[in-house]
Amino acid sequence: MKEKTNRLGTFYLSLFFVILYLPVLSVILYSFNASSSTAQWTGWTLDWYRQLFSDRVIAQSFRVSIVVAVLTSLLSAVLGTFTAVVSQWVTARMKTAIQGMMILPLIVPEVALGVSLLFFFNALGLPFGTLTLVLSHSLFCVPYVYIMVRLRLQEIDKSIIESALDLGASTLQMVRTIILPLVAPSILTAALLCLAMSLDDVIISTYMSGPRSTTLPVHIFSMMRVGVTPKVNALCTLILMGTFFIIGLSQLVTKNRRFAK
Amino acid sequence: MRQPLLSLINLNKYYGDVHVLKDVSFTIDEGEFLTLLGPSGCGKTTLLRCIAGLERIQSGDILLSGTSIKDLAPNKRNVNTVFQNYALFPHFNVYDNIAYGPRMTKSLNESQLKTRVSEVLELVQMSGYEQRMPHQLSGGQRQRIAIARALINEPSILLLDEPLGALDLKLRKHMQTELAHLQRKTGTTFVYVTHDQEEALNMSDRIVVIDQGEVQQLGSPREIYNNPKNLFVTSFIGDRNIFPVEVVEPGEECSKVKLGESVVAVRNSSSAKNAFPAEGSAILAILMDKMRISCDETENAVKGRALSIHYAGSQIRIEVQVEDRVLTVVEYQKIDCDCQVGDTVYISWEESGAILLPKDGWEERGV
Amino acid sequence: MRTLKRNLLAVPILVWIGLLVGVPMIFVVVLSFLSRDNLGNIIYQFTLDNYRRVVDPIYLRVFWNSLLLALLTALITLVVGYPVAYITANLSPTRRALSLGLIMLPFWISSLLRTYGWMILLGNAGLINNVLMALKLIDKPLPMMYKFGTSLVGTAYMLMPFMIVAVFNSVDKLDRSLLEASYDLGASRWKTFFQITIPLTLPGIAGGFTLVFIPALGLYFVSDLLGGGNTVFLGNLIHTMATRGRNRPLAAAFSLGMIALALLVLSLYWKVSKDKTGEGLFQ
Repeated sequence: MKEKTNRLGTFYLSLFFVILYLPVLSVILYSFNASSSTAQWTGWTLDWYRQLFSDRVIAQSFRVSIVVAVLTSLLSAVLGTFTAVVSQWVTARMKTAIQGMMILPLIVPEVALGVSLLFFFNALGLPFGTLTLVLSHSLFCVPYVYIMVRLRLQEIDKSIIESALDLGASTLQMVRTIILPLVAPSILTAALLCLAMSLDDVIISTYMSGPRSTTLPVHIFSMMRVGVTPKVNALCTLILMGTFFIIGLSQLVTKNRRFAK
Repeated sequence: MRQPLLSLINLNKYYGDVHVLKDVSFTIDEGEFLTLLGPSGCGKTTLLRCIAGLERIQSGDILLSGTSIKDLAPNKRNVNTVFQNYALFPHFNVYDNIAYGPRMTKSLNESQLKTRVSEVLELVQMSGYEQRMPHQLSGGQRQRIAIARALINEPSILLLDEPLGALDLKLRKHMQTELAHLQRKTGTTFVYVTHDQEEALNMSDRIVVIDQGEVQQLGSPREIYNNPKNLFVTSFIGDRNIFPVEVVEPGEECSKVKLGESVVAVRNSSSAKNAFPAEGSAILAILMDKMRISCDETENAVKGRALSIHYAGSQIRIEVQVEDRVLTVVEYQKIDCDCQVGDTVYISWEESGAILLPKDGWEERGV
Repeated sequence: MRTLKRNLLAVPILVWIGLLVGVPMIFVVVLSFLSRDNLGNIIYQFTLDNYRRVVDPIYLRVFWNSLLLALLTALITLVVGYPVAYITANLSPTRRALSLGLIMLPFWISSLLRTYGWMILLGNAGLINNVLMALKLIDKPLPMMYKFGTSLVGTAYMLMPFMIVAVFNSVDKLDRSLLEASYDLGASRWKTFFQITIPLTLPGIAGGFTLVFIPALGLYFVSDLLGGGNTVFLGNLIHTMATRGRNRPLAAAFSLGMIALALLVLSLYWKVSKDKTGEGLFQ
């Protein structure tokens, strides 16, 4: 009886993962198809990748995306960590307020958030571009840094912090020598997640992009609306490889810095 | 008279509406090993944290060598704490853990620091462990490092918060001796928190018994064990038979009370001198291991009937019924008489083992 | 005094959130009561016209489409994802870590890529039609793109990991001894599942439902690419109004309508899970 349900469970799980990854795999597969249509397979090629590297619009939007993503992760890492650390010291009521506000950007539908920021920045007369993109991306990134760092902070034994103060460290010294090193792996992981989220965002970026600062996803989206072309496949595949490279890197870093409790 | 090192003056501490420290006042002398003893939740750890500066007091004052430290942050007080769970920094090795204090206060240069670290490591018998990470150490070793880390700052007072609580029984006994040695060797004043009476009695110069945020008694282990001042201390320290008796003839030092068919003389507790009414009841407390059992009637003995006899290792525990109550007698050698369950026996006790207390608080105990 | 000083540290955070969420939201509210001229410029004149149009049957239909899409998405992800979470929680440690990794990995994969994958699979010249035709099961391509169902599949696929992670967290916390006690008392596996497991994992289900429902309201690029605009959803409508349509006041009114829907679901979540700040959603 139990054996049977186990096998059924494994089968269901396998089927689920096949369907989960089938779309991703087919994107990768068709990026190597010599034919420009998915209707037939006419052999392997790297032509689409070659075309990609000569596309100046893509190169430009890629640069914008990278700059925005890096700035967003940095800003979010600082702001999110600051919020998480500070929320330990404020009064209980203020802490609840901070928690509520951190959730806010995550529960307002992205379209509504994007539209509201569009109207607001427009009224302020802020030039749309890197600045507006970074500000708006930080909105959905900071809460993730905050949550991940706070979870790690909760794991830290309170007496470790007290003992640092007791041994003569000032609050600032304690934060620098004890808290930051201990939460560093979480900050790093969160910052990488921010990088990925910023590089992936379509909805808010659509409203925040300026005339000469379209992000890569916004550009890809407009390419996709025209229909399926292997060039998009190749581009998506490259981005995927880049993402996996970053994840692999972060895994290496956090593994080396993990401390036994 | 010696100038006290630390004076606590009418400390009061509240958590919301809960009054956790009530008018706590006492002094700690230079170089002594003082233990704060009490059941869990009595306020002893809170008191320690107030001295360390990790908690703020609402009223009263704390004087260290005559200067108030109550408004100083923990890093500005010359006292250091050893926490129950060691609280070693998991991302530093042993050397960096110990060097943390001097580095933060910049009190030593790196070469002085190196010498000092080896000194304190030798003190706690952990030389050669500099490069180990905390998670590579056993519980006892971590505890030594935590002590070394606190001692390197040469604090006026070392505060220890149940430092042996997480160790197993055997290691705990070993560490008790070692801690007492260490304290004598360094001459540092130790303030030690525990709920374990045996630990307190073994190591301390003086013990402060605390219950419900109030100091119940302060004295040497001997004093506290032999002359408990009130009902709480009597029941908390030592294994005693405690029960109400009728006072027949009150006296200044001793009073005569009726127990079973006999009338026996019992020493009055120090808090109860001349406190007994001519007729009325009081509480008699007798240490179980100061009691003797015999088959023949002797002077000052009380007649009873043996209910049960248990052999537990080197101890023999005999339950004896005297009228409507059951007393427990603990004997260590062979019993004088070879009594059986149901036999009539006579119990007596060393004079120092019994004490008479006023009845205050007996009803609240709900016994 | 001390507490005031400590709270002062929170000021930068309050300013940041207030400036980027609070003020823009107030802006949207104000805007939704204003009019515009034919060129799309805002006229500072109070009107309720925008709200009148929101309750217009044509636009109510859009609300209904979005609500239906979000509800069905939540339902599909629950029915498909619950067993995945449940089975994963009961795997041996190594297989469990592998399974969890595979569930979380899509969070890192571009959502455009994942949508695009379905375009390749479902298109008339797509992989599925190719295979079916090669097997001679059909002789002309099945039209699968640009339908309500296509948007639904894409949206559910996109949000599936949120549901699984939320459910997994509560299944994982489940006290196994309760299940054993239930078997011991003679309840069958199914009965135990519906009477013990489901009620005890309800907070996870509610959390997953919320996490899926809210974004499903606004994932307009999925319905744009897969649905082809044949069914109009709130997200597409707001997007069009705010950009090409040049009717910002109306876009503002619809945005508020969308936020109201999100808040409705959120208040249900609060009731079920008793998670006051909503933080439990993201852990």
